Amino acid sequence: MNWAVIILFGSFFVLMAVGVPIAFSIGISATLTFLLFMSFDQSVFVVAQQMASGLDSFTLLAIPFFILAGNIMNRGGLAIRLVALAQVLGGRLPGALAHCNVIANMMFGSISGSAVASAAAVGGVMAPLQKKEGYDPAFSAAVNIASSPTGLLIPPSTTFIVYSLITGGTSISALFVAGYLPGILMGLSLMMVAGFIAKKRGYPLMPRPSWREVGITVRDAILPLGLIVVVMGGIVGGIFTATEASAAAVIYSLFLALIWYGELKIRDLPKIILDSAVTTTTVLLMIGASMAMSRAMAFGDIPYTVSDLLLGLSDNPLVVLLLINVALLVVGTFMDMTPALLIFTPIFLPVVQNLGMDPVHFGVVMTLNLCIGVCTPPVGSVLFIGCSIANVPIDRVIRPLLPFYAVLIALLLLVTYVPDISLFLPRLILNY
Amino acid sequence: KTLRLNHNNPPEHPLHVAMQLMADRVEELTNGDLKIRVYANSQLGTQRESMELVQNCSLDMAKSNTSELEAFDTDYAAFNLPFLFQSEEHFWNVINGEIGQDVLDASVDHGFRGISYLTEGARSFYANKPILSPDDLKGMKIRVQPSPSAIRMVELLGASPTPISWGELYSALQQGVVDGAENNPTALTTGRHGEVTKHYSLDEHTMVPSVVVISNCAWDDLSDEEKTALNEAAKESMAFQRDQWQGIVDATFAEAKADMGVSIHEVDKAPFMAAVSPMIEETAGSSERIGDLIDRIQKAAN
Amino acid sequence: MKQALDSLQRSVIVVVFVVLVICVSWQVITRYILGVPSTITDEIARFLFIWLALLGGAYTYGQGRHLAIDTIARSLTGRNRLIVEACITVLVAAFAACVLVWGGLQLVFQTLSAGQISPSLRIPMGYVYCAVPISGVVILCYAVSQLITLARGRLPDAITQDVPPVE
Ligand code: NA
Ligand code: NA
Repeated sequence: MNWAVIILFGSFFVLMAVGVPIAFSIGISATLTFLLFMSFDQSVFVVAQQMASGLDSFTLLAIPFFILAGNIMNRGGLAIRLVALAQVLGGRLPGALAHCNVIANMMFGSISGSAVASAAAVGGVMAPLQKKEGYDPAFSAAVNIASSPTGLLIPPSTTFIVYSLITGGTSISALFVAGYLPGILMGLSLMMVAGFIAKKRGYPLMPRPSWREVGITVRDAILPLGLIVVVMGGIVGGIFTATEASAAAVIYSLFLALIWYGELKIRDLPKIILDSAVTTTTVLLMIGASMAMSRAMAFGDIPYTVSDLLLGLSDNPLVVLLLINVALLVVGTFMDMTPALLIFTPIFLPVVQNLGMDPVHFGVVMTLNLCIGVCTPPVGSVLFIGCSIANVPIDRVIRPLLPFYAVLIALLLLVTYVPDISLFLPRLILNY
Repeated sequence: KTLRLNHNNPPEHPLHVAMQLMADRVEELTNGDLKIRVYANSQLGTQRESMELVQNCSLDMAKSNTSELEAFDTDYAAFNLPFLFQSEEHFWNVINGEIGQDVLDASVDHGFRGISYLTEGARSFYANKPILSPDDLKGMKIRVQPSPSAIRMVELLGASPTPISWGELYSALQQGVVDGAENNPTALTTGRHGEVTKHYSLDEHTMVPSVVVISNCAWDDLSDEEKTALNEAAKESMAFQRDQWQGIVDATFAEAKADMGVSIHEVDKAPFMAAVSPMIEETAGSSERIGDLIDRIQKAAN
Repeated sequence: MKQALDSLQRSVIVVVFVVLVICVSWQVITRYILGVPSTITDEIARFLFIWLALLGGAYTYGQGRHLAIDTIARSLTGRNRLIVEACITVLVAAFAACVLVWGGLQLVFQTLSAGQISPSLRIPMGYVYCAVPISGVVILCYAVSQLITLARGRLPDAITQDVPPVE
């Protein structure tokens, strides 16, 4: 019997269920686990050290920068321009506005690293439009919720940055490029389901835009989308590292919002910076505490215990991967993306690496899996924000979400068992 | 009694093999009374973190290298000076002899003592062109570890030292964020840098060994027999590592040439030595203690 | 008191954030435009980032913005709700006091007395680690003020406000 497992997970779940903020739940249960192996003074020393030193990473700097750039763009009137472009692109498909919503989320996701920001910004613009056209609000909320996590797969993605850190330096460039195909596939498969349902319900198409309107819309959206060129072009073209690219994204978005569009004033900046800092530090404190927790897990041999357990159930790689996916889906129902990633990556990665899986591929699988988790009750940040933006109670949005869960799980299995979907692009572009 | 030993290499790495050998020998020599559990992949902390844990007695043993240990005990700075060692043999005689032992013992005041050096050969430059003289380095951006001596050395050779984290180095080399790097030959294969840099030039500027340390508390807790057994096992693993290392370098070069198309270049070291020679005097002048140490090492060459 | 602490922290956070952006941009500029890569921006940025994360984390706690699963707590009313909230606050306070303040002080004093120096800037690592006990003290202040409010039978602002969770 491994006491560390019981102390660590037991205390963590109790603390979390009572309502202790997750970062502190992680920190407290890590400390309790260390007490099994060392004195009180030594235990608190290790956890304090990890809270600071676990954050000592140049790579992690990209998180506040991408969040800040996303916030600046958002306040600078960017979401509306992207939604307009999405309407041009998807307006003639059955269930036009649903497609627009998915496309807008994919585009917004490709410039910001946050699913919640996307759900709020795009949903905020789309929900009233869809209501006016007679869409069921629960259905439009479900579309928005299911599609906003595409931005966690389509780069830049703060999720991949966190994953790179906990796996001891999996290439961020490779992860970013690997996210494109699965992210786009995720968007397309959601569009298929949405289109099918919309056609059945007879939702209207958009009027065909004139070429002049198309021209204006594309022109307006081209500069915000230029951020993709700055970030991904900069990384792939060798101008800068991922962290430097994130700083460049901040400068570029400042230029657009302050000077080019002029929709943002210098005096608005402190508030935006502060908001970004709050968003960032909820994640960072969790990262620091999780570093302590993963050290505690190593002291308690927990990764070995779990891996023995998994490999004891089956030594068939296909079955083990399926078990891991099921476990993560369960974890995802009640835990948010970042803590789930931080806690379970050190446990599962050694297992799948033993089975010969590439860490970049596993990063994509894990992210896609937890993308489903942020949309599921009882705990899902995207689910909460999507419902509150659309003003729909959570229990009403579950039924319309079911077909989307189904297609996402099918995609998850596809991405798990066909590594090329993730690894084809990094191999082609980066010789990964 | 089980001691925990943390290091930052993967379990298939030669250094892990050497440390595991030490662990197995200790167990044999003490009839199972003393065991060492080796944790790979920085599971209990990075090199710097685990040194802090060792000082605090939260961790029994750790592996670090002389480059990072410089921050914990300045004596180790001597090992990071370029071309202080005239040859592989000079280097081995120093670490395996009295001088090396004195440095290992000297850190007791800082909460830990060294028990063995694990050699990792010499570090050289690699890039997408041969680097046969310091002139070839002019204007190149060379990735360095964030250590003052590495930065100073690259500056003196005329290149621009650029700190990039290990995790971002592969793509930085590939995409041209930096023009080259410096490391042991194994970086070509284990770090896969041979895929993106095609010329390894054997200037062999530094020999930065790994060092296994034990905390004062864990050491004081051992019986005299256990101390003797640990020292014996440590010495054996040190010799084992030296023996296996040359084979590893040969295999690495063979693989880098055949599978990755890397060219290996012999280099005339004299102009490199001349360019960085101010460093040895600068460091020797920084304190009497380190000056003495450098003096002893230089005398051991003859 | 809480207002003064809040506004001091806000200023520090905004300034640190701006310096960080400048620092990393400067790193790119020195490499491409000046041709002499800076060897210290990397370390300055990493250390400022630790301070931003820990001080920002303390500020975020004061604003009640840390992610928590408060479904159970929110379903309670009256006295029961106050008791649960008090328990949560005490747990956070205990973590801040034992780990961040006490453990952090040990960390600072040990690294200062052992004389560990950062590689590029050559500053004592103990100064960098000071962020841990300081953020612990700030969290403790917020927690104590929340406990006082709870003892008077009211829910503190940081708990009542309904802010959407963030990712
Ligand atoms: Na994204
Ligand atoms: Na969920």
